[in-house]
Amino acid sequence: MIEDEKRQAIESIGLIKELITQTEREMWYSGGGWISIIWGIFCLVGFSGQRLLYTTGPLRGLYWTKGVYWTILSLIAILATYLVVRSRVKTQSQKRRGYFIRGFFLFWIPLIILAYVLSSFCIFLPDISVKYIPIFILLVISTGYLIIGFLFNKEILFMGTIGFVGTVITGFLFLSYADIVLGLLFGVGLIVTGLISNLRWKEQKLLQKTG
Amino acid sequence: MPEEHIAIKLNKIFHQKARLGIMSILMVMEGVEFNYLKERLKLSDGNLSTHLSILEKKKYIKIKKKFVKKKPKTLCQLTEKGHQAFVEYINNLEKIIKSMPGAERK
Repeated sequence: MIEDEKRQAIESIGLIKELITQTEREMWYSGGGWISIIWGIFCLVGFSGQRLLYTTGPLRGLYWTKGVYWTILSLIAILATYLVVRSRVKTQSQKRRGYFIRGFFLFWIPLIILAYVLSSFCIFLPDISVKYIPIFILLVISTGYLIIGFLFNKEILFMGTIGFVGTVITGFLFLSYADIVLGLLFGVGLIVTGLISNLRWKEQKLLQKTG
Repeated sequence: MPEEHIAIKLNKIFHQKARLGIMSILMVMEGVEFNYLKERLKLSDGNLSTHLSILEKKKYIKIKKKFVKKKPKTLCQLTEKGHQAFVEYINNLEKIIKSMPGAERK
């Protein structure tokens, strides 16, 4: 009888801890619509700009400048993300700040490094075309969205699925138009994901305020 | 028999998986919508309503119905009494676990 109570106590504590942790994580990610919007704009501007500058524009033929172009855009997006996150963590508890820092360093940083490693294969291995760079990067990023989506957020899961499938199809069928297709797919997809996330978050907040 | 004593003190209202889930989520979020709880805990409308009513009768939660953008919404909020009762419940669970033989060694 006592053993049964103890077993139940362990199970209950486990369930409480799991639900509290999941809810805290979900709270963190469900307010992150603006981050999704920033990276959506990054994809739209980045890919369409690349098309304009390098296909018909002034940088035609100067492919080495692509690295500089994407680095500048990435730095702007990272700075904007940092500002959004900073404005949000001000009101968060120390525990939630910890979730973000752990989430960022243990999740996104390794994925970004992986994307860079795969991209470097395209540059250093002559058999793999540099055209595959965005495909590799976006496959890795989509995998990141899929993992986060599975764990926390349905909208991000949807975006991850569309992104992953879309990138594979583009890689096989529309490689010459990859910048346009992927720019639109990830740009519009991430902006819509961010807007839906923000809308849900606002509704939740509105309910709490009027409660 | 201190172990038996702690076990008896456990609040039986929370000693149910669905209600334990509801209370755990409400401990984190200030207010939660009915459909959110339904989705998170994978419960039917009727089942969730029953559990919420039990918690509401004990004054552990408050349930408010309101309209947001012309759509009816049901909001569940934890009361101070509910918060205290659940914290006490968690403390008692921990006491039971600590009273296990060899628990200190772990």
